Formats: sequence, C-alpha cells, structure tokens
Amino acid sequence: MSRAGVRASAFALAALAVVLLGAWLLFGRGGSPVQTDLLAMLPATERHPLAEVAVDRLAHADGDRMTLLVADADDDAAKDAARELGRTLERSGAFGSVIAELPPFDLNQFVAPYLPHRFMLLGDADRATLAQPGYDLPQALAQRLNEPFLAGVGTRLEDDPFGWLQHWLDQQPWSRSALVPEDDLLVAHRDGHSYVMVTAMLHGSAYDDAVQRRALGALAQAEQALRHAHPQADLVRAGAIFHAATARAGAERDVHVVGIASTVGIALLLLWVFRSAGALLLAFLSTAIGVAVAATVTVLAFGQMHLLTLVFGAALLGEAVDYSIQYLCARANAGERWQPLAGLRQVRPALLLALGTSLLGYALLGLLPFPALRQMACFAVSGLIAACLSVFCLLPALLTRPARPMSPALVRGALALQHASARLGRRRGGFALLGLLVLLAAPGWWRLGHDDDIRQLIDTPAEITRQENLVREVAGIGGGTQFFLVHGEGAEQVLEREEALEARLQAMVDAGTLQGWLGLAGMVPSHQRQAQDHALLAPLFADREALGRRLAKAGFKPAAVEAYLAAWPGTPLALEDWLKWPIATPFRHLWLGASAHGYGSIVLPQGGDDVPALHAAAAGLPGVELVDKPASVSALFGRYRAYAGLWLLGALVLIAPLFAWRYGLRGMPRVLAPPALGIAFSLAVLGYLGQPLTLFHGMALMLVLGVGANYAVFLREGEPHTAHRPGAAYAGVLLSAVTALLSFGLLAASSMPALRHFGLTLLLGIGFTALLAPLSLPRGERTP
Amino acid sequence: MRRLIALLLLLCLAPACLAQDDSLLQAVLAQLGRHPSVRAEFNQRRENPALAQPQVSRGQLLFVLGHGMLWQVREPYQESLALTGSRTARIGPDGTLRSVRGDRGVSQVSQMLQSLLAGKPDEALRQFQIEASGDLGQWRLHFVPRQSRMARVLSGIELDGGDYLDGIRIELASGERTDIRFADTRDAGTLSALEQRALGLP
Repeated sequence: MSRAGVRASAFALAALAVVLLGAWLLFGRGGSPVQTDLLAMLPATERHPLAEVAVDRLAHADGDRMTLLVADADDDAAKDAARELGRTLERSGAFGSVIAELPPFDLNQFVAPYLPHRFMLLGDADRATLAQPGYDLPQALAQRLNEPFLAGVGTRLEDDPFGWLQHWLDQQPWSRSALVPEDDLLVAHRDGHSYVMVTAMLHGSAYDDAVQRRALGALAQAEQALRHAHPQADLVRAGAIFHAATARAGAERDVHVVGIASTVGIALLLLWVFRSAGALLLAFLSTAIGVAVAATVTVLAFGQMHLLTLVFGAALLGEAVDYSIQYLCARANAGERWQPLAGLRQVRPALLLALGTSLLGYALLGLLPFPALRQMACFAVSGLIAACLSVFCLLPALLTRPARPMSPALVRGALALQHASARLGRRRGGFALLGLLVLLAAPGWWRLGHDDDIRQLIDTPAEITRQENLVREVAGIGGGTQFFLVHGEGAEQVLEREEALEARLQAMVDAGTLQGWLGLAGMVPSHQRQAQDHALLAPLFADREALGRRLAKAGFKPAAVEAYLAAWPGTPLALEDWLKWPIATPFRHLWLGASAHGYGSIVLPQGGDDVPALHAAAAGLPGVELVDKPASVSALFGRYRAYAGLWLLGALVLIAPLFAWRYGLRGMPRVLAPPALGIAFSLAVLGYLGQPLTLFHGMALMLVLGVGANYAVFLREGEPHTAHRPGAAYAGVLLSAVTALLSFGLLAASSMPALRHFGLTLLLGIGFTALLAPLSLPRGERTP
Repeated sequence: MRRLIALLLLLCLAPACLAQDDSLLQAVLAQLGRHPSVRAEFNQRRENPALAQPQVSRGQLLFVLGHGMLWQVREPYQESLALTGSRTARIGPDGTLRSVRGDRGVSQVSQMLQSLLAGKPDEALRQFQIEASGDLGQWRLHFVPRQSRMARVLSGIELDGGDYLDGIRIELASGERTDIRFADTRDAGTLSALEQRALGLP
C-alpha cells in the first residue's frame, strides 16, 4: 500500500470511530440531546447570581405544565367536556398528573391553621386604624357582628370577634382569583361563557423531545374526542410546550428544507460541472465527515446541541464542501497530467490559508460569553478542520485517476464575468466605476438602523399568543416577563425587604397604575412585622378583664370569651411551616431559599407593563432589583452588535499581515478588497431594504469576511495553475460561492427571524464577494 | 358572602326571565323588576351560637337595579357601605369612598357571582335550587345551594314579599341565622349626588 493509502485508511478508521461515537451520543442514549429551549442558550445577563436562578425557577414553574381552559356557552357542556378531557389525558399516561376535578375540601379547614397566629397577622387597613390613637373597639366589634346580610363564612365570630384575621385573609391572593370551585371544578364565568380549567403536569421538561411528542399527541387525541362529543366547546391553551413545539417544528422544517434543498442543489451543480457521480460522492463524503465530527465534538463539549446550532450546521455544509471543490477543480484542470499528491501540494497553500482565515473568524465568535455562539463556533471550527483534513488524507487515495475537464460552459461564463468584474480594478475606469458604486451605496448606509429587541427574534404564531392572552385574562395565570428579585442574608431580612417593596407596589395598586402583585411577605409577614402587629394589639389585651367584659356586653357567651382570651398571645407564623401547608403549593416557587449567594425570593408585579414605574418601585431599596430578562438580553445583543463592527475591523487587521506575508504589501489590498467591499455593499442593500441591524447580521458579516477572503485566496492561488484554461480558477470560486449560497443563503427562507437575518446577510455578502473576487488578481494576469 | 346575598337581591329584582319552569318565580321576578330603584328601612337581626343574645341593627337601604346598593346603618353605630359590582366601599363622614380591600375571601363565592350583577340570573340557578310558593300577593322563594362545598357553609336563603321584597332570611350550617326585614319600601325618586357617585351612576 502506498503512503497515501496508509494515511487514507488510518483517517477513514478514525473518522468511522468518531461517526460511531457521534451516532451513539446522538441517538444511542435515549432522549435526544437536541435542545430547543432558547433560554438555555442565552448568556447570563444579571448582576446578581440569584436572578438567573429565579429566571430559571419561573421558567420551570410556568414551563413544565400545560394550562387548558374548556370554554362553552353552555355551562354543563363545558364542565362535562372538561371532566372528559381530564380523564382522557389522565388515561393517556403522557402526563405526570392531570388536575380537572378537585379533591373535596372543607372551607373551615382552610382557616384552622391560621388560628394560632391570629394575633400576629393584621390587614393593612386594621394596622393603620390600630396605630392611630383612639381606636374605637366597641365600634369595630359592632361592625363585625352586624355586617350586612351575614358574617360567619371564613373565620367564626368567636375565633375572630373583631374580624382582624378575616380582614387579613381577605387580602390574600387566593381571595382575588377569578377562578372559583364549582361542581368540584375550577371555573370562571366571563362574556357569557364558562371556562373550566384543566391543568396537566408534564413528565419532564417542555423542551424534551420525547415528553413533548407524547404530551402533544395525547392532547391532540383528547381534543378530537372533545370536538366530537361537544362540537360547540372550545379549547384554549397556554404553556411553554406550545412555544417549544412551534420552534421545533419550524427548526425541523428548516433543517429539512435548507438541508435537502442545499444537498440536492449542490449535487446537481457538481454533477453538471464535473460530469461524474464519483466526484460528487467524494465531495459529500468529505463534507459528511466534517459535519459528523462537528456534531460529535459539540455534543462531547456541551453535553447537548441546540437547534440553532443544528440549523447553522446544516448550512455549514456549504463552506465545508469548498475544500473538496478546490481539489476536484485542480484535478479537472490538470486533465491527463493528474497526480494526486502533486495536486494536493498545489492546492495546499490555498486550503490552509482559507482554513486559517475561517478559523480566525469563528474563534473570535467563540470568544463571546454567549453559549449559542460558542456552540456554533465549536461546531464550525471542528467541522471545518475535519473536512479540510479529509481532503488532505482521504481524497488523494480515492482520486487517483485523471478526470474529465470542467464543464466548458461554466468556464466560459466565469471568464466573461471575470473580465467584467476585473474592470473595477483597472486604474482609470475602475476608480470611476467604484466611485459610482459607492455613491449608489451611500444612501443605503445612511438609512441603516438597528433594533436589538430580542422579542422580535421570537416569531410566536398569533394564534398561540391569542390563546395565552385569553388564559391570562380568564385565569390570571402567566404574565409579564419582569419580576422583582429580593435577596438578603437571611429569610427574615428577605421578608422585611419584600415588605418595603410591597408597600410601594400596593401604593401603585391603590393609585390604579398596577393591577396587583404577588409576593410571599403578603402571605407570611416578617417576624418584625408580626411583632409590630402583635404590639398594636397588646394594649387591648393588657386589661383582660375589661376586654372580657366588653365582649360579654356585646353578647358573646362566657365560654366564647374565655376561649378567645386564652388564645392570646399566640405564636408567630414561621415561613418554613407555612411553606409546608397545602395552601402554599401554588406559591412555593416564589421562595428561592438559601444558596451560596444568600436568601432570595421573587415578587411578581401583575398587569403593569410600565417598566420605568416598576424600576422606580425598586429604586433605592436595598436587596431589591427589577429583573427584566428580555430587556437585559436585548441590551447585551445591542452591545455585541456594536462590537461586531470592531470585530470586523479586528479580523481585517489580523488577516492583513497574513496576506501581506503571502502576497506582498502591494498585493495585500487587492486580496482584501473583495471581502471588504462585499461587506460594505451588503450593508448598503440592508439599508435599502430597511432591515434594522441585529447581532445576527453582525455574525453573518463575520462569516462573509471569512468566506470572502477564501474566494480571493482561491482565485489568487489557483490562477497560476490554470494558465492553460483561462477562467477555470474563477469557475472553481464561483462553484464554491454557489454552493455556499445554496446552503447559507437558503437560511433566508428560515422560519426563525434570527436565521433569516443571518441567511439574507450571507446571501448578499457572499454574492457580492464572489462577484468582486477577480479584483484580487494582480493586474498583469487580468488582461487576456 | 356578603356579596352573594347582595347579588341574590339584585337577581330577584331583575326583570330577567329564568330558564326554570316555574311561572310563579318568573312572575315574582317580573313584579319586583317593575321598581328599578327602591328605598326601604331595614332591620337586621343576627343569631349566632357564640352569642348569648341576638345582634340587631337598623338603617336605610337604597337599591338601584343594575348598579348596586347603599347599606346605611344608623343603629347601633353609623356606617355607610356601597356594594357595587366587584367592589365594596366604605363611605366616610366626609363623603369619600374607600375601598374595603379584598372580598369576603375564603368563601370564594363572591367572585363567582359577579356576572349576576350584569343581570344574568342563570348564575344563581347554577348555584341554587330555587323553590317558589304562595301567590303574587304573598310569595316566598327558597334557595338551597346545589354545590356541596357551599352547602357545608350555607344551609339556605329565603326571600319573601308581595309587591316589594319584604324580607331575607339566611341560615348558615354553623347555626348562624340572619333575618333582614324591610319596611316602608317605596320607589327611590331622585338620588342625591353622593348616592349617585357611590353607586357609580353617571
């Protein structure tokens, strides 16, 4: 076996091993390592580490369940349909638990746990009145005893003769819920419709592929049965799972469309140009090895792979195939004089230079503290290295026989284009033409703007948003994206700080600028607050005899008076006890508990999207901050987008000496011109299109620089070897460009706005750069 | 729970027609609906197992169909409450309205009946079994909760009257009993500015 043969066999074995490892990592371990949670891919943006924990906690509290409302104008039909829906979902086994019918409970049992703490808990109005001098005890008692129509529901008169505990309970969040138990179901009535709630807890994360498929499958079946039995009933849904499913479906469609369209397109193109199926297979082999190695390395390094990376990877095919194309072109152009290793020596400088510039670009991308970009960079770097190595190691052994020359039509066309484009580089007319182009581009640059709001990057179907809004309005579940993080050194300090915040929030509610708020301190006051409340009541209990006489005079039986006085002073309500009560279940996620960064809790503002007002509510309070994740991420994206311009300059500065070393100081600007002008003209077109720049445009321009520099290098390096066939080198470059456009450019048709921006920019950038590539040729070789 | 009764009262005065096949009930509701705003003197008497003697309060009621009511206690203390739709407000001596925060919470019943205020009596039929007896000159409506959860708290409500509503009796499972009698019931005539404001009238 020849040296090339040994090298090829070793490489083939290594590649096979990596591919098998990758296959096992991706498919062999049960559960797909493909991640669809966009949140998981966002960089940490919050100053306080607990804020990230809180973001995560809220996402899961909201994310791992499905909230369904069955709506019908006919109340009985709605309730029957909801019960059936609950049973069908339960039977499907696709959910951890399904709640439609409530377990029986006694309203009185609800109050009982609070009784030992009743002298520690005061409503806001009672606290204010008791703090003022001259509290009218007899009047308070008479008001309570003679409340219009009836008292006695909630606390019993003898347990709470003054109604203090009752007033405190009235102020609890569950007293405000629009959902009420009816026929053992949770029901809201609105606009002449009954809405019955069914909650289904998923068997895992909403972003887990298997969990998602089973849950949505079961829901679709149940929905069909529901439509059949109750044609009038409507099913309204909310939950992260529906977003995740849409994102996944979109991404899968993208992978299919972009992947298949680019594969088929590239295949047809290569068949036409090289007129051989063998060459085609080899080009794909090299690319496939690159992608397989990239996927394996990415999963090994990150434990999982995000959908964005996968879609990006499908597009990366277009760059990886360039290396094989250059080698295939060299073979086609050599004709009968073909020698595999000599051919390799001929293309090696071009390939290494091209690989070097690409790696520089991606390495810069990987330096960002942004998981999604790092993953893409890791994918690209490992994939490109593997694809390039496969050209060096594998192809010489497989391509020993000479090949037919490239399709003459392509070479002729390329030559014509090359002449047209090279005119720009001429001293006289060229500068005038360039000036004209710059003049044309200037209004585009002038019109360029930017928009970093990441909400624009999430393309939620209007129907999902409509249903979610309805669920929010009817059930009061879900809500804005902002919340307050309260943190401190201990549970007590956190609760005290919450109280300071909640006083301000309540003032906003009273002023009508906020609908409400949800926080633990409203349900379990700090010990300090409880002690203050207790102290307000203490003077009334100082003279027990007098208080007893007062109660007896109002009409209470002696036994009731005795029992009430004996209950004083009671004990404080402790947070850790309260958290164990069943009533705490829907609120437990608000308590972050202890961590290395101290104690923390979450306070949710409700129905107020006046962000400056919310910021003002937190201003100046120690240990309280408003967390607005979308805004923080948008700000971060904006910063990176601004840096993108600097990176481009930085990358040009890094590449320039490389080119100067290879082509001399006079040749360097010519080789650098195509990518630099390509970027400039792309920006102008984006300006004309009225597309505001985002981070993703910036990323795409980085790629344009990398790929564009490749084209200039390929042409400059290839031209001396194809002197006998004018236009052949440029034909190879055009071939690379068209394959890149077929893959990257197709991203412009993606369902994800981020990828769409990315694809469009690449489409423009690669197109311009490929057309401008002949500028890189030294002047002497341009004139035929 | 206070609002439950308030709403029931409204319901009974609403001229809406009920789906229940009971001509007397319908006739009573139609008859009460002929008086869109009413004033009456009330006398409320409450018995509770914890009390050795019943509690009695007196005052004036102003009721406006579709808007709510003013409950003005004169004895044994002075207090004015405006019960409108989803909110209860206390009217201060200076005429200012201050929301009484929260509903009669734990019962969770109040919110359920809000749409009743919009004149939708099917809500009450969903919650209660209603029996009518007597004749238009002297009728009696008996409400029994359909929901077992509510029945554990509320035994029943009884309304009686003739041309106007004469009385409400509420019995709780705990043994508490509230009797409200109305006297000198008449059409309300013009409302004062304060009354209009308190009830949210234009």
